[in-house]
Amino acid sequence: MTVIQTDNIVYYYEGASKPSMDGVSITIKKGVKTVILGSNGAGKSTLFYHFNGVVKPKSGTVKVMGKPVSYRKKDLRELRSKVAVVLQNPDDQIFGQTVEGDVGYGPRNMKLPEEEVKERVDEALFQTGLGEFREKNTMQLSYGQRKRLALAGALAMKPEVLIMDEPTAGLDPQMALELMELAEQLHHNGTTIVISTHDVDLAYAWADEIHVLKRGKLIYSGTSEGFYRDSAAVHSTGVMQPSMFVMNENLARMRESDPAPYPRTESQLISKMASGPKGGLEIVLVDGELGDSVHAALKGGRKTGVFGTVVRRLVSDSEKKADYMFNGFEACAGECLMGRDSVLLCDRDCLDLVKAKIEDLKAFGTDISYNVNG
Amino acid sequence: MKECIFETENLVYSYSTKQAKPSLDNVSVEIHKGVRTAILGANGAGKSTLFYHFNGIFKPVSGTVKYMGKPLEYTREALTELRNDISVVVQNPDEQIFSATVEEDIAFGPMNMGMERDEIERRIQESLFKVGMEEYRERPTIQLSYGQRKRVALAGALAISPKVLILDEPTAGLDPQMSQEVIELVEQLCEAGTTVIISTHDVDLAYAWAEEIHVLIHGDLVYSGEPEPFFDDHEKVAMTGLVMPHTFSVNSSVQRICGREVAPYPRTNSQILCKMLPEGSRIGKIRLVPVEDSLPDVPAEGLPTGIYGAITRRLFRAAGREPDYHFNAIEYCLMDAVGGKDSVLFCDAPMKDRVLEVIGRMEAFGKKVEVVM
Repeated sequence: MTVIQTDNIVYYYEGASKPSMDGVSITIKKGVKTVILGSNGAGKSTLFYHFNGVVKPKSGTVKVMGKPVSYRKKDLRELRSKVAVVLQNPDDQIFGQTVEGDVGYGPRNMKLPEEEVKERVDEALFQTGLGEFREKNTMQLSYGQRKRLALAGALAMKPEVLIMDEPTAGLDPQMALELMELAEQLHHNGTTIVISTHDVDLAYAWADEIHVLKRGKLIYSGTSEGFYRDSAAVHSTGVMQPSMFVMNENLARMRESDPAPYPRTESQLISKMASGPKGGLEIVLVDGELGDSVHAALKGGRKTGVFGTVVRRLVSDSEKKADYMFNGFEACAGECLMGRDSVLLCDRDCLDLVKAKIEDLKAFGTDISYNVNG
Repeated sequence: MKECIFETENLVYSYSTKQAKPSLDNVSVEIHKGVRTAILGANGAGKSTLFYHFNGIFKPVSGTVKYMGKPLEYTREALTELRNDISVVVQNPDEQIFSATVEEDIAFGPMNMGMERDEIERRIQESLFKVGMEEYRERPTIQLSYGQRKRVALAGALAISPKVLILDEPTAGLDPQMSQEVIELVEQLCEAGTTVIISTHDVDLAYAWAEEIHVLIHGDLVYSGEPEPFFDDHEKVAMTGLVMPHTFSVNSSVQRICGREVAPYPRTNSQILCKMLPEGSRIGKIRLVPVEDSLPDVPAEGLPTGIYGAITRRLFRAAGREPDYHFNAIEYCLMDAVGGKDSVLFCDAPMKDRVLEVIGRMEAFGKKVEVVM
């Protein structure tokens, strides 16, 4: 199913000699993890502004959920409750004086009852880890906090499509991992996520489908591998091949084997490179609080990782920390690959996601045996 | 004994007296001359604050900063002299670009140093060439894109031919090829004797590039030295907001699974693959072609071709020749070698020794890659 579709859109910025969008026809599919690639100035942000109606094409059409976008004020408000865009620079997006005021701005604009507004603000602040800052002045926040605040504002709209322009730019690595895990969780729960990024390694790990822009034209839509294999096309767009892709291609060449299946994660790559006795994985499900099984796991013996927004907050606030507070699934998979047992503390709504990851590893020769607790 | 270019002793700095903990809290760090140095740490750890002490923009609340063994003096004359030696390029180019046109902006530093007109002209040309912005010389700075402004800021820093170049997040916000170009430029500066210090969030970049790292957390210096012992300490890495570089963790896992020593530590994918090669594998040769001011007439013989360095890049462009490897070419050629394939690498003549050194490192990972000149 298509969530956003443009047909031959053309757009010029005032006074520009060349179009910023030059006949772009793109289809964004529901539930497909989508990445838009392209060098600086290729038109990524301009395209996003068409998706939420900030910019109206000079010609061509934009359809959202099958309906052509209407640019009347009332219709745009509704559109933006469905399609939320998080800009690269949070300062372009944060207007409220206090954190909670800023997050509540969108839902209030949607004329939601105050009780619902409060609920949404609470949830969005929780998801982005800004709970303790709710009464703070937005000017007092650090860059990373402002970046999360901008995201919280978008999440409070409960959009069907969440578009993020360079979501990890300027964040330190752990924060970037946390954000991508949240994106994964949202995706798993039904939000369609579209990301633009310069980080080809991140894009490769994440995307089901990529779209590549070059000087306002869409020059590729499809799988990552289909694009990266064509090194001349890659070069012409200012992009580089992801490190994982290059590594796998050369590994295959060295072994005179087929490069497929293509590893996208470290555990998949390592599985292809070396094999030994595997450790087991215990998955402990967490809902609203940390139960006895969690406390037992944290006491030690085996390495522990966390996966999911709720469990991360709960463990962060508890006395004993997990060994892997970020990228928990990958870390636990790494332990298993090295023959050691480990425990993954996991949000209940992420269980199927984790199972799918374990299933994905089988294609690379790693069969992790696991049990689910709780 | 390595010579110190900067040395701080018990450096303390706070932005305001109300701060519960100083932004730099008793930092004693030694930055070594000619050593590729990366400063790592999460947002707000104190990386930029430390940089501003190196060029004397900030004066410590207590403690000392020494440059080349001498404590900094904060008189106007002394600072002007200091800044003739040290360039800091801040993360956001807008904080650094003040002039109306590109050339004026780049001329600013050399003019301040009282250089002759001819010399200023030469410096403008040279630094614009290095950052690949020659055609933008007369452009108003406000018309430039983010990536272009970032390169103009760098050109401005290069124009004074600094002895020390300090780069705060030099690749942030740049597209991948531009990042590679900046890294290549940094390599050239290091080779020419400039001490380069980089701060970055990109642990993969830092690990591939740096000989020494210094890690800050909430204003405390928690590690100084080679990258490996730091990244091997999972708990410490977790504390600092950082993650393990991919190359480091892939190598550690693979070697442990195979029951082998984790060392020697590869810093690149080609080194990882080299370690995994079975005995008796054929290793490809690299034909190295140093380029001075014209392209030597070397037939590629259908072999993959890589280019390395600003001069080579320009000459290829002028000749309309398309190499196979435009960026990160040494690594691509080494990957070919590991895969048993020969390749040709054109490189700027002054970079020849550096390229040979990088190729020579493969031996530590089990295989010698033969170079044909």
